[in-house]
Amino acid sequence: MLLNKQERAGAGVWHEHTSMSGIVVEGLRHLYRPKRGAPVLALEDVTLSVGDQEFIALLGPSGCGKSTLLYLMGGFLPVETGLITMDGAPVAGPGPDRGVVFQHFALFPWKTVLQNVLYGLERQPLARGEREARALAFIKMVGLSGFENNYPSQLSGGMKQRAAIARTLAIDPKALLMDEPFGALDAQTRHLMQTELLAIWRRSPKTVIFVTHDVQEAVYLAERIVVMSARPGRIKEIVTVGLDKADPELTRSSAFAQMSDHVWSLVRDEAIKAQAGVGP
Amino acid sequence: MAGLTTPSFAARAGHLALRWSLVVALFVSWELLTRSRTFTPFMLPSPQSVLERIWRDGSSGDLFINMALTIYRALAGFLIAAMLGVSIGLLMARNAGLRWFLDPVISVGFPMPKITFLPVIVLWLGFYDTAKISMVVFDAIFPILTATIAGVRSVEKELIWSARNLGARERDLLWQILLPAASPQILTGLQVALPIALIVAVVAEMMMGGYGMGGAMIQASRMADSRGVFAGILEISIVGWIFVKAMVMLRARLLFWHAQR
Repeated sequence: MLLNKQERAGAGVWHEHTSMSGIVVEGLRHLYRPKRGAPVLALEDVTLSVGDQEFIALLGPSGCGKSTLLYLMGGFLPVETGLITMDGAPVAGPGPDRGVVFQHFALFPWKTVLQNVLYGLERQPLARGEREARALAFIKMVGLSGFENNYPSQLSGGMKQRAAIARTLAIDPKALLMDEPFGALDAQTRHLMQTELLAIWRRSPKTVIFVTHDVQEAVYLAERIVVMSARPGRIKEIVTVGLDKADPELTRSSAFAQMSDHVWSLVRDEAIKAQAGVGP
Repeated sequence: MAGLTTPSFAARAGHLALRWSLVVALFVSWELLTRSRTFTPFMLPSPQSVLERIWRDGSSGDLFINMALTIYRALAGFLIAAMLGVSIGLLMARNAGLRWFLDPVISVGFPMPKITFLPVIVLWLGFYDTAKISMVVFDAIFPILTATIAGVRSVEKELIWSARNLGARERDLLWQILLPAASPQILTGLQVALPIALIVAVVAEMMMGGYGMGGAMIQASRMADSRGVFAGILEISIVGWIFVKAMVMLRARLLFWHAQR
């Protein structure tokens, strides 16, 4: 915190101004230290405030540090310079208040869909029957009813990601951190999953941080898009999307096309830089 | 059409015959070689006389005593090696300091022919089960240890992170996540170690004497009983075959969730 304890305690107004609820990133800088070779500056001077129940997309070329930023928020990597807070408390490690969905699902392959979803619930103070009912409800929510007792190796890519999303939602996190969750899926499945994610988010609103390198996906899903520059990752611009997500014709509207063009123009230079090898 | 889904009896029998044809051919050429009288029955006893010998050892009960002893030594040593190897391997995979400290011992110990320690083992532990089982443990532990370390070290970071994210504590990780996630590789290590356990049990018996299949073979050799020697080879190869098959079945059972078992 930039303010000392006394100032914080006395400054009620300050609390509101910096939106204590939600995720706040202040002056974050991160050095990636490979096992061999010199350290690489992955993130520099990242400051970002994500409101409660807001849907944010982190958009940028590959290697811009957007996943690193997500993993720092998740508490998987140590924060060295700067600060990340969740509802005012500094992030000090992984926790079920910030549920993570990984690109390659990270399901436990020796557990069935139901056992996977139960894993997080078994670590919460719930009665056995309640856990089971909750797990089944979330499996139903992502459309996997009938596959409770299947192992991940028996599921398609889209079904695996549904199972992973059910597992994360079941622990009722305040925030959902998603690392290119649909990146490994085919185009059709990807589109279906995007629609369903929006539907789920509308039904049970959560703070969502969604990492992607797909402009259309970002415009379609997010309320605000954080465009990041090529390495070292900095915030280039934050775009407020302001489109009606409930409109089924949204992706065919001219407003959608204009917004996509605008965001793409911001990303393009960075993508070229990353391609040219200035990035990774 | 039916052949695509359920192969006919004839097709299955054909497959089986083809699969075992080399083993059968070996027996047939052995039989033909003895009938051609190229070698004396002492140099190469006929398959029939060897089978008769196995039958006689079986009826007298000697065969089962020797077989049971060898299997007991091999399995006891294998199980101790499995427990020690997997536990130490798990700890080493998670603790860089321990890995740094123990790696030289493994790098020197794994390629070292452990049989060279036999005189020392005899000196310290004598000729009996303790010494023989110790030799088995000593030899079988290395493939298990290295497979466990490699298996745990190659568990995807995301799998560990997702467990931590779902509320797993550091000590939960070891048994709940790392061990099952590494189990395909650990089982490969165990599959390598079990035949080694049998080999070392037999060799130790041959070197130290006493009961057991290796001891019986050495005894037969000393008595110029070539049928006994050939009978021993046949018996040991059958036990080895059963060991290998049992491990394959155990693997399929334990890794039923794995895409390619």
